[in-house]
Amino acid sequence: MTTSVRLTRSSLSFAAAAVELEGPELGGVVLFAGRVRGERSGRGRVVALDYEVHETPALRTLRDLDRAARRKFGVERTVLWHRVGRVPAGEVSVIVGAAAGHRAAAFAAARFLIDELKRTVPIWKTERARSARRRPRRRRPRGGRSSG
Amino acid sequence: MVRPVRVLLFATARTAVGRAEIAWTVPASGRSAADLAADLAAAYPRLAPTLKASRLVRNGRAIGRPSEVVRPGDEFAIHPPYGGG
Repeated sequence: MTTSVRLTRSSLSFAAAAVELEGPELGGVVLFAGRVRGERSGRGRVVALDYEVHETPALRTLRDLDRAARRKFGVERTVLWHRVGRVPAGEVSVIVGAAAGHRAAAFAAARFLIDELKRTVPIWKTERARSARRRPRRRRPRGGRSSG
Repeated sequence: MVRPVRVLLFATARTAVGRAEIAWTVPASGRSAADLAADLAAAYPRLAPTLKASRLVRNGRAIGRPSEVVRPGDEFAIHPPYGGG
């Protein structure tokens, strides 16, 4: 049984996470990636999220989640990766995954992992937004309106 | 010399206080988590609303009972509601 827990300032790779879940006996593999949405907020368009973490309890909680997923769903391998620091819009901020003999366990475990990660791991995010620029008003040319 | 408690502040707690960490002196016999939280709320009134919604963590472990004693040299963290993902 293998787990991969990671808090990192570097980019997260979906392909690298898939490698962690390889195994000839693992017929069901589910990977979830969460991306920073560049949506509109009250302060303009979101350009990035700043993630902060209380690292020691966060790592312990991630390992606890792995153990709970294996106990509840019988999965053989899990991935729990989260970025910290500034993550630009469009980039992946979190990857969770689970691999088991069959798909039902893998789906259930992956859903459990992302839901519990959001609920129980001491990570916080702050929006970085850029307000929309107002167009400069055009000055009326001297000499009045053109008739053309 | 009595070592202070290292108070760690995250997210809205950090914003309310304006710092990520403060050194807080407690008696050599310690201070209950509830009393320490009340002391901090009195010293930093803007922290009070966040404290009500936060988990308190001592040396990396969630505090289960408000009477749990925080001792000099401990780490005492204020965890507002989490927002990972």
